[in-house]
Amino acid sequence: MNVQDLYAISPLIVLVTWATLLILVDVYIIRDRNGGTPILAALGLLVAMGFAIAQTGQQYTAFNGMAVVDGFAIFLQVLFLGSGLVGIALAYNYLQRMGIERSEYYILLLYSISGMMLMAIAADLIVVFLALELLSIPLYVLAGFGRPKVEPEEAALKYFLLGAFAGGFVVYGIALAFGATATTSLAGIVQAVNAGSANLTLLSIGAALILIGLGFKVAAVPFHMWTPDVYQGAPSAVTAFMSVGAKAGGFAALLRVFVSALPELAADLSPVLWVLAALTMILGNVVAIAQGNIKRLLAYSSIAHAGYILMALVVFGNTQVSSDAVAAALFYLVAYAVTSFGAWAVVIALEKAEQKGLALDDYAGLGRKYPGLAAAMAVFMLSFTGVPPTLGFVGKLYLFRTVLEGGFIWLAVIGVLTSLVSAYYYLRIVVIMYMRDGDPQVHAEPWLRLTAGVTAVATVVLSLYAGPLFAWASQAVLKLF
Amino acid sequence: MTALQIIFLITAVITLGAAAMVVITRNLVHAALWLIMTFFGISVLYVLLNAGFLAVAQVVIYIGAISILMIFAIMLTRRVQQDFGPQTNAAWPWALVIAAALFGGLIWIFSGWGNFFTQAPVMGERADPLRQLGMALVSPEQYVIPFEVASVMLTAALIGAIMVAWERK
Amino acid sequence: MLPVGYYIALSAILFTLGALGVLIRRNSIVIFMSIELMLNAGNLAFVAFARAYQSLSGQIFVFFIMAVAAAEVAVGLALIVAIFQTKRSIDVDQLNTMQG
Repeated sequence: MNVQDLYAISPLIVLVTWATLLILVDVYIIRDRNGGTPILAALGLLVAMGFAIAQTGQQYTAFNGMAVVDGFAIFLQVLFLGSGLVGIALAYNYLQRMGIERSEYYILLLYSISGMMLMAIAADLIVVFLALELLSIPLYVLAGFGRPKVEPEEAALKYFLLGAFAGGFVVYGIALAFGATATTSLAGIVQAVNAGSANLTLLSIGAALILIGLGFKVAAVPFHMWTPDVYQGAPSAVTAFMSVGAKAGGFAALLRVFVSALPELAADLSPVLWVLAALTMILGNVVAIAQGNIKRLLAYSSIAHAGYILMALVVFGNTQVSSDAVAAALFYLVAYAVTSFGAWAVVIALEKAEQKGLALDDYAGLGRKYPGLAAAMAVFMLSFTGVPPTLGFVGKLYLFRTVLEGGFIWLAVIGVLTSLVSAYYYLRIVVIMYMRDGDPQVHAEPWLRLTAGVTAVATVVLSLYAGPLFAWASQAVLKLF
Repeated sequence: MTALQIIFLITAVITLGAAAMVVITRNLVHAALWLIMTFFGISVLYVLLNAGFLAVAQVVIYIGAISILMIFAIMLTRRVQQDFGPQTNAAWPWALVIAAALFGGLIWIFSGWGNFFTQAPVMGERADPLRQLGMALVSPEQYVIPFEVASVMLTAALIGAIMVAWERK
Repeated sequence: MLPVGYYIALSAILFTLGALGVLIRRNSIVIFMSIELMLNAGNLAFVAFARAYQSLSGQIFVFFIMAVAAAEVAVGLALIVAIFQTKRSIDVDQLNTMQG
């Protein structure tokens, strides 16, 4: 081991140490409930983010190929840490208002983020699997944080059972990949495939099982059944974090494993991914139309967006396009994260105890009574639909472009058509907010207002300067072995 | 037939039979006991595969800890210990089809694996797998990252479980 | 000595049985037991492949999967007992408070 190895995982070390010390600080020093735990947790995220940004531009593997530092890893680590910060901002007032505040919330959040960061730097299937579990286990508990109420508990149990089921598939898939190549390291798999010593059929099936397992995590059809119930039942602040963090974590693993280790399998797996992406986009958008509950609507919307990001994965075997595709997927993840957090901030502002204030009708009259909040929500809905000038539009533009470059014209057509379908239900919310009369009850605490405002401004402004952001994402290429 | 083959056959039948009973039995406590039987069968298979340490770990972790925890959970949710309603959900014929397809696919794949019928090589007499295993777990050149991450994950799970079990006052 | 393939085939049957159990049963504890069967099938496949390749890394993986299983069982059973206290039922069919 040398210093460089430790330096490679320094953001992770900082975050894990911080979280573990925070447990003790919280118990022995802070003690009271409204204390500084959330602030300290946010501080830890910022420090870790500093360490992550300090690595910009470097590219090497550490710990003998267990972990890898590259643009992709740094980009995603910053994204995860940023979503952790927003997650804390959204939770802070929400937990107080719902009377479920406990400082363990923030500690579990930090552990979950450290799992996501590990996912970004993983270069061995063992690490991918452990990262997946480290990401998921705290989330199972967070999803049930509203105890002892029925809805969060049901959500947590459902999420747990399906997550563990998915974990079983990932384990067996990795076992098959190991059987096919005699190694679990991504670099080793590439070597074995190139040397011709790998059994490609076995490797394909292993990859397919890993895809099933991670498909559960990113909520791709047909592995999405849990999503609406879990998103609805879990406390909204957790749902917001889950819809961004867990999804991005799953995609981090998918992109890393498929693009860097398995491009040789594209002939077998691209059609499978094609079908998954198409089904996810179609089903997510079509079923969302029928939803009357905003949390369920956003759940189906998140399924649909997983479909769009999956489009980038379809071209993974084409080495000329795949680095562009990774950049487009990362850009879209950022666009989705910003927009999604903003939309959830508005949902949290309107939510009341006992799952009230979540029907679409509760948004009637928002435009007149709270013009700022309504305008922010309208921006998010336009961004979700993909209307300029928003981040969602630019993100879709890049995605469709790479898909066309990869030669999958029909997939791009499906993407455009389903985006048109999605306009119906996203714009219906805007119509309800501005055209109908109502008396919405809003609790816009400072942190919520800040989050909604900042994300709304970012959604518009970043889209006008999308070039630099996409350039940064383009540098975030995977280190190929 | 050699003695080894006979042992393997008996173990295989017991393991799979017990696993099948876990899936079909109505009584939860019986299911837990069948599960223990399955775990035990697998640990015998580990011995046959020269993975002695894992066989012990299997007994200690799966039988000693996990199964016992499950029996605790069954006792704590005792009212439903023996349900009178149907034990299968409505979609079970579909599940059967999916499982059959999965199984057929896996077997078909494995039969294509070049080493399927090759004899397992004998582990070297001088090899000390336990020592190698221990060194590999803490060596920075090998598996120290997963090892440390596993400990972090167990800490997180511990805090999580306490959170869930905590009585709210 | 036995062909390694026998062990792999056995693990495939075990995996399928586990998946079947998850899909057909209603009781959450039995579903969780079936998930443990799937994980064990993965472990068995790993050990068998490790034997075929004379490689330790397969055995190491099994070690980590056991740690993960222990972590999952702690959280999962806590959740199952918690929901039983609230709902007096742990059937997944009854997890239907949320409706679209």
